[in-house]
Amino acid sequence: MAQSLLDRHDVELAALAAAGGRREFGELVRRHGSAVRMLLRRMGAQSAEADDVAQDAFLQAFEKCAEFRGEGTFAAWVKRIAARLYLKRKAKDARYVAELEPEQAEVTVSPDAAGLVDLDEALKSLSEVERLCVSLCHGAGLSHPEIASAMNLPLGTVKSHVKRGLDKLRARLSGGGEPVGRAAHVV
Amino acid sequence: MSSDEFDPMIERLFSRSPQMADATLFAAEVETKLQSSSRVRTVALTVAGLIGGIIAVRETTNVSLNLNDGSSPVAGRAIGQGVQAASLNVQEAVNSGLTQFGLSDMALGSMGGMQLFWIAAGALIALAAAGVMRLSQEI
Repeated sequence: MAQSLLDRHDVELAALAAAGGRREFGELVRRHGSAVRMLLRRMGAQSAEADDVAQDAFLQAFEKCAEFRGEGTFAAWVKRIAARLYLKRKAKDARYVAELEPEQAEVTVSPDAAGLVDLDEALKSLSEVERLCVSLCHGAGLSHPEIASAMNLPLGTVKSHVKRGLDKLRARLSGGGEPVGRAAHVV
Repeated sequence: MSSDEFDPMIERLFSRSPQMADATLFAAEVETKLQSSSRVRTVALTVAGLIGGIIAVRETTNVSLNLNDGSSPVAGRAIGQGVQAASLNVQEAVNSGLTQFGLSDMALGSMGGMQLFWIAAGALIALAAAGVMRLSQEI
């Protein structure tokens, strides 16, 4: 009896997709679509934009499926493609560069009623560039040099943004509720 | 919490993402796009092939009808000679390349200049079609 798509491993499905199997690729999209869309939203994309970029990322992944060798997870591989596509789109939008400059207002965060905050809420306390850097690093699995290259920023700046972003998240997630400070600009 | 404990925790939080309610709809949209892009590609390649083929047949007919004719116009003869000279150059270049790789025994030398010209033209059309497809994927 033929093995059901649901029983197949991602690597196996990716190999079948590389040979042109659209149904097999569809199963991969069903499995990992939400994770990719969620990452893009965490990077700061609006729902519609996130879905748009995620679709493009999956279409690109289908074309490049033969390049996926199962060294990492399939989801991580597509997330990297999606993150790069989103950055490209942002780079085309000159607004992105401009947003690195303005000083950010002081943000005071406090834990919610249950004393707990989730990651998505906590990410809102970060500036856009910090959010991008932290999401790229910890969500898409890009290294600091890869982020620097993709965002066209100096490596030191990326490291600062990631560190500052993580500090804010730590403050937020530990429920301290202390002010997370004014964003300094290291360029 | 130290950063040694915090960083893995953040990564775990990032990797946790609930299945969205419209996950099936999203997958269906991607599959539809895949199908339509595959259709567009097939149509584009077919059209490119047809156009290339029609041009090739038409040009071959024109050349044999007009340019090989001693009474053809001077400009036509000049173009014909130019094409033949270019074809011979290509042929010589291919032959010298094959000789370098020890493949001089291949029967390419016996091909006519026009045959080589059309092989090269076919390769160029294929390259152009591949380029257009690549560009369409990028867009």
